[in-house]
Amino acid sequence: MKQTLVLLLFTISISAAHAQSSCAKLIPLCKASFIEDYSWDGRYWRAELYNGEKTEVYYTFFKGLRYRLIPCGSSDEKSPLRMRIYNANHVPLLDTGTQNARPYWDLELSSTQLLIIELYYPAGNGCAALIIGHKASDAIASKE
Amino acid sequence: MRQEKVPFYREALHDPTLASRYRSLKGAANLGIYLTDMAYAHATNNYQVAYEYLTSANRLSQLYGLSDMLSMERIRELDRLQDKPDSLQRLFSTYYAEIQDRLETTGQQALLRHMILGGWVESLHLTLHLQEKAPNKQGLADLIRLQKSLVPLMKKMYAIDTTYSEDSRIIFSHLSAIEAALSKIPDPATDASASTDPQKGLIRLDFEKSAPLSPQISTQLREKLQPLRQYLISV
Repeated sequence: MKQTLVLLLFTISISAAHAQSSCAKLIPLCKASFIEDYSWDGRYWRAELYNGEKTEVYYTFFKGLRYRLIPCGSSDEKSPLRMRIYNANHVPLLDTGTQNARPYWDLELSSTQLLIIELYYPAGNGCAALIIGHKASDAIASKE
Repeated sequence: MRQEKVPFYREALHDPTLASRYRSLKGAANLGIYLTDMAYAHATNNYQVAYEYLTSANRLSQLYGLSDMLSMERIRELDRLQDKPDSLQRLFSTYYAEIQDRLETTGQQALLRHMILGGWVESLHLTLHLQEKAPNKQGLADLIRLQKSLVPLMKKMYAIDTTYSEDSRIIFSHLSAIEAALSKIPDPATDASASTDPQKGLIRLDFEKSAPLSPQISTQLREKLQPLRQYLISV
């Protein structure tokens, strides 16, 4: 029993270390591949998720900007990292799990709002990160 | 601020020459304040002033083992980017993020929370100042309304240690007063209709229009914010 427990703990710690290192390696790749002409906000939002855990990012989105949301991570079941978007009162607005899988989503709002972005894996354990970039929305850019 | 094309009011900013006189809690809070003043100066194209505030921020950052973040090489890079606002903005964002990251990884989360508080107080102070000068700017009114969602998060950061930290107790009580002033604002429209364009990978969230903000509410909010700002910047 003790041996099983030690083995289990060893496996978990290996898997946690693997998740952490794989995320650390993945983030710069995700950013370089998908940020394009968006200005990165300089932050890596990251967490390790086990057994259906979720992580939330509270973020203020401004009207007049177009945001690029790049969910980035890898899970032991190879399932895609998904996002649920909630308003400040935690009312769900959109779940990207209901859409075709994409490496990133662009987002525009009609007014400045605090939104909650929830990252989750439909199954399995893994690391999750979110990279956020922004640029002037097409409407603003065409005025300038 | 860029979109609203707000003017620059030097008198609204904190005194950058006080940077060397802060320590611990106030040092961290004023680091947030100086970084916000720097961002405002930068957003209004006052690059020389932005640079001045970056220097003050750097002086304070030395207190927390962050001095290597503004190396000579980076100062030279800033100089090179003076005429490239977008690149400069990117560098400022990176600098701010690096500070947050370093404070987290070196176990200085308590200081990080003061830095976030200072940055938030200063941004609201500047927004209210700008709104007083130009009450019709919708973007500024939206930002003030947004505080209804942000203040509870700020309170959460300080609620955990009000029983044994006098500073946290004082800050929490100021935040409660600000929250009470904000409660008079009708709830912002947070219900949205979401639409997606799967081809472009674009999500669009359309929110209902909010009611205009009365000048009395801004005045009351200003009256509640000032004591907290004063508490943080007093030497």
